[in-house]
Amino acid sequence: MNAADPIIRIEDVTKYFGSFKALDRVNLEVAAGEKVVVLGPSGSGKSTLLRTINQLETINSGSIYIDGRDIASPEEDINQVRMELGMVFQSFNLFRHKSVLENLTLAPIKLKKMARDRAEELGLSLLDKVGLRDRAHHYPIQLSGGQQQRVAIARALAMEPKIMLFDEPTSALDPEMINEVLEVMVTLAREGMTMVVVTHEMGFAREVADQVVFMDEGAIVEMAPPEVFFENPEHPRSQAFLQQIL
Amino acid sequence: MSDQDVKKIEVGDGAAIPSPDDKGLVSAWWIALIGTLILVIALPLVQPDPYLKILKFIPDGILITFQVTIMSILLAIVIGLLTGLGRISENRLINLAASLYVEVVRGIPLLVQLFYIYFALGRLVRVPDIVAAVVAMAVCYGAYMGEVIRAGIKSIDFGQTEASLSLGFNRRQTMAYVILPQAWRTILPPVGNEFIALLKDTSLVSILAVSDILRRGREFAAESFNYFETYTMIALIYLLITLILSKLISIMEHRLSHYERR
Repeated sequence: MNAADPIIRIEDVTKYFGSFKALDRVNLEVAAGEKVVVLGPSGSGKSTLLRTINQLETINSGSIYIDGRDIASPEEDINQVRMELGMVFQSFNLFRHKSVLENLTLAPIKLKKMARDRAEELGLSLLDKVGLRDRAHHYPIQLSGGQQQRVAIARALAMEPKIMLFDEPTSALDPEMINEVLEVMVTLAREGMTMVVVTHEMGFAREVADQVVFMDEGAIVEMAPPEVFFENPEHPRSQAFLQQIL
Repeated sequence: MSDQDVKKIEVGDGAAIPSPDDKGLVSAWWIALIGTLILVIALPLVQPDPYLKILKFIPDGILITFQVTIMSILLAIVIGLLTGLGRISENRLINLAASLYVEVVRGIPLLVQLFYIYFALGRLVRVPDIVAAVVAMAVCYGAYMGEVIRAGIKSIDFGQTEASLSLGFNRRQTMAYVILPQAWRTILPPVGNEFIALLKDTSLVSILAVSDILRRGREFAAESFNYFETYTMIALIYLLITLILSKLISIMEHRLSHYERR
């Protein structure tokens, strides 16, 4: 594949939960290094779309290519693909029985067969990056929500993924902790990470996004650079959405 | 009356395990322990014939009872782990097999199962009586243990599984590295309960020519005709063992919850 090919290509993806159509023929391409922010009212399918990218949700039809590999096909080893896709959850989901550092080193040691001291070195440098090196030997339960989420980002980065997926990473946080998490994400964006972010943080979308994707009722309604989307939204539903939140 | 109006009552089948917060049970435990100790010591002193003789005759059986209990519980945990994992398996056949096992075992009295496995096993292979007894106890308790382990696994938030999968772990690795290490804290206290229940139920194996506490007592009584005195002593010995064990388990539970809270 050549450099112009998208690193994520979602083609005609449809997904049902029972009889409810959560995703309706969605098409989306993300280039390497691009930051895409997905907006939309709750129930619009934005989290579901994000979760199909690493197959935490299976799809009913269509295809999803990561780096040219058709990940929804049964021949593809999804665990291999997931190693290249970092994911950050709304509820952090840190491993409660492991220390902060062990949360970071578990996957590199077990999946990449990295030597323990190398994994710990990598883990500590990532904790440095999210400003939590001094908490390396604490347990998740001893940390604030914002700290837990920063650790969760570091845990995903420890696998050295090509793409980072964020599923409403600040929605479960108290307001005063939102910024410390967003700052880490901005830094990551500046470093050139490919990012797909589902969020309600409009400031973050304006500052970081290359493309804003607006979803409603399981479909992508509008897609535009943030300056266009926030100043001159085309679609009436985007306009209504922006009026409600701004 | 709607479903919500019905209060569910949950009663374990093990000994009453005292928690440090429950003052009523704690004092009941002390009274029972001290009372039992006094009787076990005083009866042989006051009336050496037959109590001292009984007390000398039975201890071989205590060893056997513990052997059967420990071997059975270990095997039951292995069976329970397989059953628990089978019961949550997405493979329909495995799931069905595990559920069927639980259903069948729960529906047949332990004593009937003991006879059945003992004689069925005896037809196939020559094994020592104690092995047959252990297998029978483990097959029965494995089904209960399976439910305990399944509940423990289910008690772990699904977000833990998703986080593990998202890193690239497969389902088996997720179970081994993430879910089971967290679930054991939930699983261990009820396993302790099952251990005490199993210890008491091993008295049933005395029927299979295994010389446990009860069997030794029956042998003594049959020769001496001191039925009342013998069964008094047997009851006291069982009581003493379960009282001490239930205290140990209560301490262990407390430690575990403390660990969680740190």
